[in-house]
Amino acid sequence: MSIFGFHYRLERKAISLILGIVLVSSIGGLVEIAPLFTISQTVETAPDMRLYTPLELAGRNIYIREGCYACHSQMIRTLRDEVDRYGPYSLAVESKYDHPMLWGSKRTGPDLARIGEKYSDQWHVAHMINPRDVVPVSVMPAYDWLLANELRTDDLSLHLKAQRKVGVPYTDDMVANAAADAYGQANPDSTQADGLTKRYGKATTVRIFDGQADRLTEMDAMVAYLQVLGRLTTAAGKSMAQTGASQ
Amino acid sequence: MIAQLTRNERLHAIQIGLVVAVCGLLLGLAGRDDPIGLHGGLIFVAGLLAIFLVGRDYYAPEPSDDRLTRYYDDPSKAGVVLSIAWAVFGLAVGDWVAWQLVNPDLTFGGGWSSFGRIRPVHTTSVIFGFGGNGLIATSLYVLQRTSRARLPDQLAPWFVLLGYNLFCVLAVTGYMMGITQSKEYAEPEWYADIWLVVVWVVYFLIYLRTLARRKEPHIYVSNWYYMAFILVVAILHIVNNLAMPLSFGSAKSYSAFSGVQDAMTQWWYGHNAVAFFLTAGFLGMMYYFLPVQSGRPIFSYRLSIISFWGITFFYMWAGSHHLHYTALPQWVQTLGITFSLMLLVPSWASAGNALLTLNGAWHKVRDDATLRFMMVAAVFYGLTTFEGSFMAIRSVNSLSHYTDWTIGHVHAGALGWVAFITFGSIYASVPWLWNRDGMYSAKLVEAHFWLGLAGTVIYVFAMWNSGIIQGLMWRTYNESGTLAYSFVDSLVAMRPYYVARAVGGLFFLIGACLGAYNIWMTIKNPGLVATQGGGRPEPKLAAQPAE
Amino acid sequence: MTVEHDFLVGLSKSFGLFYLIALSIAVLIYTFWPSNKRRFDRAAQSILDGEDKPWR
Repeated sequence: MSIFGFHYRLERKAISLILGIVLVSSIGGLVEIAPLFTISQTVETAPDMRLYTPLELAGRNIYIREGCYACHSQMIRTLRDEVDRYGPYSLAVESKYDHPMLWGSKRTGPDLARIGEKYSDQWHVAHMINPRDVVPVSVMPAYDWLLANELRTDDLSLHLKAQRKVGVPYTDDMVANAAADAYGQANPDSTQADGLTKRYGKATTVRIFDGQADRLTEMDAMVAYLQVLGRLTTAAGKSMAQTGASQ
Repeated sequence: MIAQLTRNERLHAIQIGLVVAVCGLLLGLAGRDDPIGLHGGLIFVAGLLAIFLVGRDYYAPEPSDDRLTRYYDDPSKAGVVLSIAWAVFGLAVGDWVAWQLVNPDLTFGGGWSSFGRIRPVHTTSVIFGFGGNGLIATSLYVLQRTSRARLPDQLAPWFVLLGYNLFCVLAVTGYMMGITQSKEYAEPEWYADIWLVVVWVVYFLIYLRTLARRKEPHIYVSNWYYMAFILVVAILHIVNNLAMPLSFGSAKSYSAFSGVQDAMTQWWYGHNAVAFFLTAGFLGMMYYFLPVQSGRPIFSYRLSIISFWGITFFYMWAGSHHLHYTALPQWVQTLGITFSLMLLVPSWASAGNALLTLNGAWHKVRDDATLRFMMVAAVFYGLTTFEGSFMAIRSVNSLSHYTDWTIGHVHAGALGWVAFITFGSIYASVPWLWNRDGMYSAKLVEAHFWLGLAGTVIYVFAMWNSGIIQGLMWRTYNESGTLAYSFVDSLVAMRPYYVARAVGGLFFLIGACLGAYNIWMTIKNPGLVATQGGGRPEPKLAAQPAE
Repeated sequence: MTVEHDFLVGLSKSFGLFYLIALSIAVLIYTFWPSNKRRFDRAAQSILDGEDKPWR
């Protein structure tokens, strides 16, 4: 019996050590993070906030796939020089549909939170094909194959469905027409383009992003995504104007 | 390897192989037209390989009960070799990536080889491949010695080691195919994440089962650190990787969190991965190998306990210092700074404890490069934690964040602390594990030490310079009140430092290659077998003043 | 969600502080409890003793 008592004591010690570690370590995270899940009660709202279109979402996934976030942030801090360089500082609401967020942690290249419509589509395409053609000292890799790769659209409905499961309010209509909407956004003259603007709003950019009318490429998606960055809502510009006026 | 398993364990090994192979096959079939299909195939092959290897020697004689009078070190041996192999691979990729910032056309035109895909290959290979295998190998070694108990069985440690390496391979090959969650240091997708959870649970159970067989009621402090590492990494990994896959046949998933919550969860994970993977585990290593190699007990055991609870408690609060001046609420940022500063206390307590242990043994530090690796590691640990707390202050962070300073800070810790303590522990344990009198060449250990130190110093100074210049250039205004430099100007200014950084990395890589060669020769050279037979030759070197 | 943000923040800030102080005191008591000293000294010394075999 003494063997049992001995072992009982030993194991109890190991277990209490484990419980101690779990308790001590997890509470710090809980105390800090739990309030953030109710933060929607305190942060600014943006009634005009629109969703990513299927083409933009596909572009975002290419941005993730290529690891662009390793060198480009999407978070303008509340510092004067950042606002002067990149535009109004980023608001929490602007990334509320970003699963996951792409705030980034390093700027080997410039911040991209408000890159949308600062450069033309042609500039972006040329820059992707060979960055050094437009910025001679750039150290960004070339992404010329984006123009050669056809964009995969057959699983876009699944993408929207998965997004809806994590809380992005895509409608059944949007899910059902995801592939057509992607095609329409890069083909302004097609009938699919009308369906797109009906579902995502008149302000949605419909253009031949990659300069090739007949094909839907990964370049279309990438440029469409870059051109919408910082333009899903106008809340940031308004918030800046208010703080500027009150000072 | 197989001969050491009992018949029952061989049967279980084949069953596990079968389950793995079936899962791989299902994934491969469901994801025929998705990158996940390739990974399914890879998992399938890994399962088949396990079945084949075990099946081939299935009827070999069973090990005798004699084995129970010895520790089971085969998984530790394999872990050490894997760790060094990952180190050489990961450092080589890291240096390649560094040269890409000097000459961006070093991608050779491939998509798989561009900076954004190769960078996580580097980080995963060195953190999880090199560091993780080093932790598993040394933890099993230390666990058995400090508990005076053999591992509970022969199969579970192999499952952990090989399963963990399968995870690393899935991760690294995935990035090159474009499979990534984009969460830094948690890039692998959902199926690899689930697999890691399974492996991790078994790892934890090995720890519990071995501790239950120990003789001493008190658990040695190294095991506290190793257990905190295993437990908290499990919590972090599961929470941060909660995601919704598109389907069973798709590698892609969407994070359950978005925006601010996701940022906070990610950096709660990211910061504590540094705390519990890159600090707690390696402190466990240090608290065992440094006293043993120097032949002196730890300076203050009490201090080691206080620093343990301090680190376990404070680190968890500090993650938000990664998000200063962002859309994160102010009070969370302030909390992050406060705790980052308080972290200095337990961190320096550990570093000081290590250095004070060496007090009176400095002649050994001078003569023994292995011990010097550990000493320098403790110094860099102290320096890096000081720098970390400093960088968490908002005004400093406004300059340092987004710049190369962060990269310099990380590498001061990763190269100077984590890699040095690992190399030191490996150099200490290889002769003990393979029953040799010493390493094949003490001169090569010496060369490795100086190459590693030079590489680290060059790297860190280059990144400090470039980071601070970068930060200053971004915020400099001219007299008319407009920004003085364009972003491109700052990029041009970085170039010489990027060259210096890549050269420093090359030094470090060459050192690791020498280490790999040295270890290989030690293992292969039967002439080095220790003469007194069995056990660790070290304690007899230790003159114990207290006794 | 029925839990108010301000409530959670308040709880974090007050409870967190007490939790911190209580924990620190508990750890210090455990570490400096006189009868624990012998055990700690033995543990520190134990890794240097011969340990080339499992105890059973």
